[in-house]
Amino acid sequence: MTNWVIRSAALLAATLLAIYGVLRTTDRAQPLWLALLVIIGLLWAIALWPPIRRTARRIERSMLHVITVLSIGFLLVGVQLARVQAIDRERILSAPTNGAVVGDPRLSSALVEARRGRILARDGTVIAQTERAANGEIRRVYPFAPAAYLAGYYSPGLFGATNIEQAYDAELSGRAGIAWRAWLDGVLHRQTPGNDVVLTIDPALQAKADQLLGGRPGAIILMDVHTGAILAMASAPSFDPNKLAVSTTSTQDELDAARAYFQSLQQANAGALVLRPTQGRYAPGSIFKTVTAAAALEHHTATLDRVYRDEGALSVGDRVIIEQNRPDPNRVSYTMEEAYGYSLNVVFAQIGLELGEARLRETAQKFGFGAPIPFDLPVAPSQLSSDPGYLGNPAAMAVTAFGQGQLLVTPLQMVLVAAAVANNGQVPAPYLVDHIQTANGAIIQQTQPKIWRQAVDPTIASQLQEMMRWSVEHGYAHPAAIPGAIVGGKTGTAEVGNQPPHAWFIGFAGKGQPQYAVAVIVEHGGEGVQTALPLGKALLEAALQRSQ
Amino acid sequence: MSQALTRIRLLELQLLVLPGLLTVVGLLTIFLARSGTTTWHWSDIAISVFYMGLVLATSIWLSLIGFRGDQVLLPIVATLTGLGLLLIQRLQPALAARGKGWATIAQRQVIYITAGFAVLWLIIAFVRRLDWLRRYKYTLATIGIALMLATMLFGQEIGGAKLWLRFGTITVQPSELTKLLLVIFLAAYLDEYRDLIASGYRWGPITIPPLPYLLPMSIMWGLSILMVILQNDLGIALLFFSIFLVMLYVATGRLGYVLAGAVAFAIAAYVALHLVGHARVRVAVWLNPWSDPQGTGFQLIQAEYAFAHGHIFGTGLGFGMPQAIPVVETDYSFAAFGEELGLLGTVAILALYLLLVARGALIAFQARDTFLRLLAAGLSAVLGLQAFIILAGDVRLLPLTGITLPFISAGGSSLLTNFLIVGLLLKISAHGEPA
Repeated sequence: MTNWVIRSAALLAATLLAIYGVLRTTDRAQPLWLALLVIIGLLWAIALWPPIRRTARRIERSMLHVITVLSIGFLLVGVQLARVQAIDRERILSAPTNGAVVGDPRLSSALVEARRGRILARDGTVIAQTERAANGEIRRVYPFAPAAYLAGYYSPGLFGATNIEQAYDAELSGRAGIAWRAWLDGVLHRQTPGNDVVLTIDPALQAKADQLLGGRPGAIILMDVHTGAILAMASAPSFDPNKLAVSTTSTQDELDAARAYFQSLQQANAGALVLRPTQGRYAPGSIFKTVTAAAALEHHTATLDRVYRDEGALSVGDRVIIEQNRPDPNRVSYTMEEAYGYSLNVVFAQIGLELGEARLRETAQKFGFGAPIPFDLPVAPSQLSSDPGYLGNPAAMAVTAFGQGQLLVTPLQMVLVAAAVANNGQVPAPYLVDHIQTANGAIIQQTQPKIWRQAVDPTIASQLQEMMRWSVEHGYAHPAAIPGAIVGGKTGTAEVGNQPPHAWFIGFAGKGQPQYAVAVIVEHGGEGVQTALPLGKALLEAALQRSQ
Repeated sequence: MSQALTRIRLLELQLLVLPGLLTVVGLLTIFLARSGTTTWHWSDIAISVFYMGLVLATSIWLSLIGFRGDQVLLPIVATLTGLGLLLIQRLQPALAARGKGWATIAQRQVIYITAGFAVLWLIIAFVRRLDWLRRYKYTLATIGIALMLATMLFGQEIGGAKLWLRFGTITVQPSELTKLLLVIFLAAYLDEYRDLIASGYRWGPITIPPLPYLLPMSIMWGLSILMVILQNDLGIALLFFSIFLVMLYVATGRLGYVLAGAVAFAIAAYVALHLVGHARVRVAVWLNPWSDPQGTGFQLIQAEYAFAHGHIFGTGLGFGMPQAIPVVETDYSFAAFGEELGLLGTVAILALYLLLVARGALIAFQARDTFLRLLAAGLSAVLGLQAFIILAGDVRLLPLTGITLPFISAGGSSLLTNFLIVGLLLKISAHGEPA
């Protein structure tokens, strides 16, 4: 009886360990997984150890033991097989194969390439498609230049794939269709046609965003605050995927040209292959005051009309914070709303010190800091600080509160902050892929807009909204005003060492109620109000015109 | 009449339906997949028909001579060998570019298989008693060591390991034969001294093994291991070592010896890792092939893709692209099946090997005397262990080693030796009685 219980328990424990291991590890030869396999093997030995008659001969007994051990070894081989052929399959097949890693030749066969699906904008504008010439030559082309780098490149034999081409490879290649259909196609050796990926991108706004950035290093994101749909996402410098895409039918000259272009991109060292809106991490500067203000309001350490003193300097510990932003050097009293609109560092340093690390961190996390933002492309997490103890220092806390210190944020994170403020404190889950459809246009999978998390209470959100609007109506962000629309915004000028500062702008606009959020960064662009704000305003204006 | 009927190996014949269908239909599938048509002629599958003729002829001949040995062994071996035959036919177009030598690699495999069956017949027809193996144990051990020495001195290095002897256009892998000689020697020696070895000297709570009796065996084993390590292949070393431990355990039933041996091997392997560059690379690649994806990790990553594409049901014979894996016909034959037969196929192959070992163990249980029992145990263990080491390498449970997958991998030396092993097992299963 107890024997039976022990055996069952061992079997159960082994199963649970296997599940834990599969969830925790990504590769079958990770030390953790191999160690788990050893333990699983031992547990199986307990569960399966053969009961042997007392009268059995020594040789029989030991042979049974040997067979048991060998069987367990074979079972472990079976577990590894199950991982590689079933559990980890999709992970292996869609692993990034960017240049350095050799691609899978099965994906670069002419047949597979020819039936790869298209990448479309929301109105059907083709961003990427495969063309087949009369002579049988296959070519992946990206006709819509302003969004070409969003599609990424598809170059299976040479550099693999990036961005949407990589993230949605399974859908584009037809691997991820309806399960039973794919299975039937496999059994019958029918070609599984690729599916089209339709993006939320509005081609006119995307073109506008790309043109506004004008090749200056930086990023622009425009988002629908209610749904989280990305309407435009520009990144610069970028690359031309037409020059990187090669197929099995490419000639040696084409291969050489692609290699040379890839090398030149790498040698230029400008990060042209990095998609800045999601992968670029920058010091935020004053736009971060939005998060600080949210934390202070949420935790009731401040109100919009609470008055702070700003005498032009504040010493915190061994550090003196100099105020350069006061509209009138003789005025020393400002409400929090005014301090936000005039971007007063000394006031926000005080707000931050009152707030303390824990409360600031809690609110920042609610906006998405430190968390992997769910998105269709990989997103770098944003951070409050890189050293764990950094914010324990009051001076560090003070500078972080107005957007300096060790803060690093992605443009996507900051557009979500603006969107949450505009959307009753709810952070929408951002998405770039609207739906997947078959070549005939039948929708297979439609993205449903979701709320990712609640950053602040709706009442706090409306106060933040008022604050951002005040900043446009009366404060330094006033050039962002659009006649006939409600506009809120905040500029930022993030100090970065000895180089010119990063210019930032976040904001929202809408008719009657906020509808679109924008985040703009121009790397080393100087003053936010001069460099970034006009781009954000122009894009918001274009979006409002489009929606009329 | 009724006597003649009882002599028919009916179970064997029934079981042979599986490899029969597998090889004939499999080769047809491969041909049709390649040609992209549905028209075919018998000549397209002549090789499989010939192969099944060979297998059936063997079975019928065994019935005719009234052979009373095991009836399951041959169908298992025929299935595995048939899979190997299919694989090499499947890969032939891709391998043709490399197929230098006296025949294409596919033709050679057919010849080796035929030779393997010939070895089987010869053993069953002409070997009367297996006792002589026991008597000439030291001679056999000497031959084994001489073979290894010859490989060390005159060996040919292929793929970083020095395991081959070249005679004109034919290369031979002596370690395959040595593994068999080692099993025979260990069985004979342990049969003679196992009681002495098992008892040991008691010294308080500790039992000290009787070193004088362990010595000759340890020397023989140590020499093989040393040579194998010098030849730059840890796979064979691991195989030899496991055989040694398994047989020692089977004979004496003492776990202490196994544990002590395992610790000794772990230390030896650790040292060897730092001495043998080839092995160190293999371990590094095993843990992280992506550190050198275009170089040492290339083969492993390609195998990874092959397995992953196979999914549950596989792409079907002839529909995959296993030739993308370098040296697929020996190192990664399992990955080729993983791609084209899927998880169902690979698990079935695992089951076949396990069945083979289990059947060998059953033969050992029923063997007439201790020597034959140990011999059968050792022979089935060597097949099982060899399969395990390479399969575990293929699925990244262990680092990949260069040993062959019994009956499936391309290569004459391993095929002939393995058929020799099957012949001996069949002989033992017939209770050593004259045929």
